[in-house]
Amino acid sequence: MNKQKYWLPVLGIFVALIGCITINTPIKAADTIHENYVQKIKAKKELVMGTSPDFPPYEFVKNIHGKSTVVGLDVEVGQEIASDLGVKLVVERMDFDSLLVALETGKVDMVISGMNNTPQRAKSVSFSKNYYQSGQDLLIRQADIHRYHNYRSLSNRTIGAQTGSIQYSLVKQQAKKAKLKGMDKDNDLILALQTHKIDALAVDTATAKAFIQNTNGLIRIPSGFKTSSAGSAVAFPKGANSLVQVANQSITKIRKNDLINKVYLPKVSKYMTNHKSKKDRQKANSMWAYKDFFLAGIGYTLMISALSVCLGLLLGIFLSLMRLSKNSWAKKIAGAYIEFVRGTPLMVQLLFIYFGLGIVVNIPALLSGIIAVSLNSAAYVAEVIRSGINSINVGQKEAARSLGMSRQLTMRYVIFPQAIQNIWPALGNEFISLIKESSIVSVIGVKDLIYQSRLVQADTYRGVMPLVITMILYFIITFSLSRSMKYFERKMGHSND
Amino acid sequence: MINQQTPLLSTEKLTKTFGQNIILNQIDAQIYQGQVICLIGPSGAGKSTFLRCLNLLDKPTSGSVFFKEQDLTTLSDKQLDDLRQKMGMVFQQFNLFPNMTVLDNLTLAPLKVKQLSEPQMIAKAQSLLHQVGLSAKKEAFPANLSGGQQQRVAIARALMMDPQVLLFDEPTSALDPEMVGEVLKVMQDLAQKGMTMIVVTHEMGFARNVADQIWFMAKGKIQEMTPPEQFFQQPQTVRAQEFLTKILAS
Ligand SMILES: Nc1ncnc2c1ncn2[C@@H]1O[C@H](COP(=O)(O)OP(=O)(O)OP(=O)(O)O)[C@@H](O)[C@H]1O
Ligand SMILES: [Mg+2]
Repeated sequence: MNKQKYWLPVLGIFVALIGCITINTPIKAADTIHENYVQKIKAKKELVMGTSPDFPPYEFVKNIHGKSTVVGLDVEVGQEIASDLGVKLVVERMDFDSLLVALETGKVDMVISGMNNTPQRAKSVSFSKNYYQSGQDLLIRQADIHRYHNYRSLSNRTIGAQTGSIQYSLVKQQAKKAKLKGMDKDNDLILALQTHKIDALAVDTATAKAFIQNTNGLIRIPSGFKTSSAGSAVAFPKGANSLVQVANQSITKIRKNDLINKVYLPKVSKYMTNHKSKKDRQKANSMWAYKDFFLAGIGYTLMISALSVCLGLLLGIFLSLMRLSKNSWAKKIAGAYIEFVRGTPLMVQLLFIYFGLGIVVNIPALLSGIIAVSLNSAAYVAEVIRSGINSINVGQKEAARSLGMSRQLTMRYVIFPQAIQNIWPALGNEFISLIKESSIVSVIGVKDLIYQSRLVQADTYRGVMPLVITMILYFIITFSLSRSMKYFERKMGHSND
Repeated sequence: MINQQTPLLSTEKLTKTFGQNIILNQIDAQIYQGQVICLIGPSGAGKSTFLRCLNLLDKPTSGSVFFKEQDLTTLSDKQLDDLRQKMGMVFQQFNLFPNMTVLDNLTLAPLKVKQLSEPQMIAKAQSLLHQVGLSAKKEAFPANLSGGQQQRVAIARALMMDPQVLLFDEPTSALDPEMVGEVLKVMQDLAQKGMTMIVVTHEMGFARNVADQIWFMAKGKIQEMTPPEQFFQQPQTVRAQEFLTKILAS
């Protein structure tokens, strides 16, 4: 009976969400008539560039003086545009898939991330002209050098490509006889290639060159794809024509002077090849050299987890009390909230808070992450607490009430302590899964453990070791939590045996 | 001693229904200061429901419950909380707080509700534990006590609030036979000290010896309200006669 009633508020939330989104679109469109993007950027004195730094030589992360810094061709291009505008360049890192959303929601002013100008993308953003044109290659294992010559010799083999990339569509459309495996990160794909999960990796020429310089046992062959050779371009918000114009002027200059080949590539390749001897490279790539990355990651992961556990617990208690209260409205709202949050993926909630609410209030990535994980955890905690409260024999409540204790006192001193004791193991599980699931915040560029391990992977061209370390670190965190939960459980439980 | 003018506790047309089922049907009853009432009747007659309506743990469907002159059905939640302190209740399943020591079970409500001083309450708890013969158990947890001991703690816990009337709902039904006596003894002592009590029980010996009145309940009504001698010798209604032959046979 109650189930049906929850529908109404749930529907309400849906309608509100859809309202938010649809109302917003026309406002954006209206902007384009008298846009003043250039003035706005000059006024704030900075140009924010979004990029996904796992794509050498276009953009990747380098440990410079102990600070992880985004470097690459695209950063140089961005720098050129920023200088031409007379403002400072600020680089925001995020997942490739999040870049366009970040652009549409105003989190960044432009996206330069080795992004190809495709008609599909051009529907939602405005592209500059191409600043760089690169061919398409395949990376294969050295041992296969006589077996594969281009995509045609890979029938029934698996070709990998970055999900959502132009190479992904090329393989899909042209290498029909081959199997296609998409992954988010080039580093994962390289790892897959090395471990025979895939037999070839479709990448553009510049990327292929970068990888074979730094990875043993791989070689580059021509892909054989027919391409309309869409080059890399800078993406701006739809209709930001004044910015496109400025960028096009900068790009004309870059191309006329061949800055990419003459200046940028040599500068960038220095970052990629500055470890001359193999020994030097190994030393620089030893995981110990990256301990600060992992430490920073642990810091963020612990902070997000700790804050989310506390906030989630408080809000969860509040929600469960609302759900058990006599007030039918409080009951319905809490019920609807819990159903809705448990019925939607955390990833989507996170993106909604960061990007969706970003339209109204600009919430920084870290805060968005904490809010999303807390709000999500609260719904689960609320259900755990409710089941704990319901598990307490009604006689306990009657005994307390018959002594003159009010509902509140009864809840606080009689029911709640016993409920917490009963649900302690379940709460512990909830907190542990919260810690693990908090890793999702890396998607919006929060620098947690997962994010840092990605950086280390990208920087060292080593796929497995950073993963192993990350795994061990997560395990240490969750294991200490479950141990301390057990300790408190024993401390509380003395009365019941 | 018995004040015939105003009852301590009384009901007027007290009715309680659960859905279609009329459990209490327009019951009028009076309990006077110092009286011991034994409420007996077949299972499902509504004895527990009646008791729970007296302190508004169950909300009557209609009719009134009076404590002295005050109609409980008209009171606010806050006023009801205050009034329940004056009516102690002892349950079949004891309902001690399992996560607290005996001493904490006793002192929790006075400390939180009345906000009395802790040393004073501990002293009072100790004297009440002495009264029910459990001085040695104050630091024990309920799970480590026998049923009879738990029920005596529950009685002491109810007494901590200085109630003017005690409601007992089958206080010995969950006990092993050898423990029934120790609990009945505590109750008899209370009766002798003048405590007003309403006791739902199947202990006919206790009813005969301690009660001032037997109330026989069946079919949503209190069918008889008579002194024990009369009730056990010549029950008026057929139902009571049947009930007695059944219970005395077993
Ligand atoms: N919360 C409730 N909802 C619905 N029906 C109830 C509820 N509480 C009690 N009843 C019903 O009311 C009737 C009387 O119950 P009550 O517990 O008062 O009887 P009783 O005389 O105390 O019986 P017993 O000797 O078995 O304890 C029973 O038929 C019971 O099923
Ligand atoms: Mg009963």
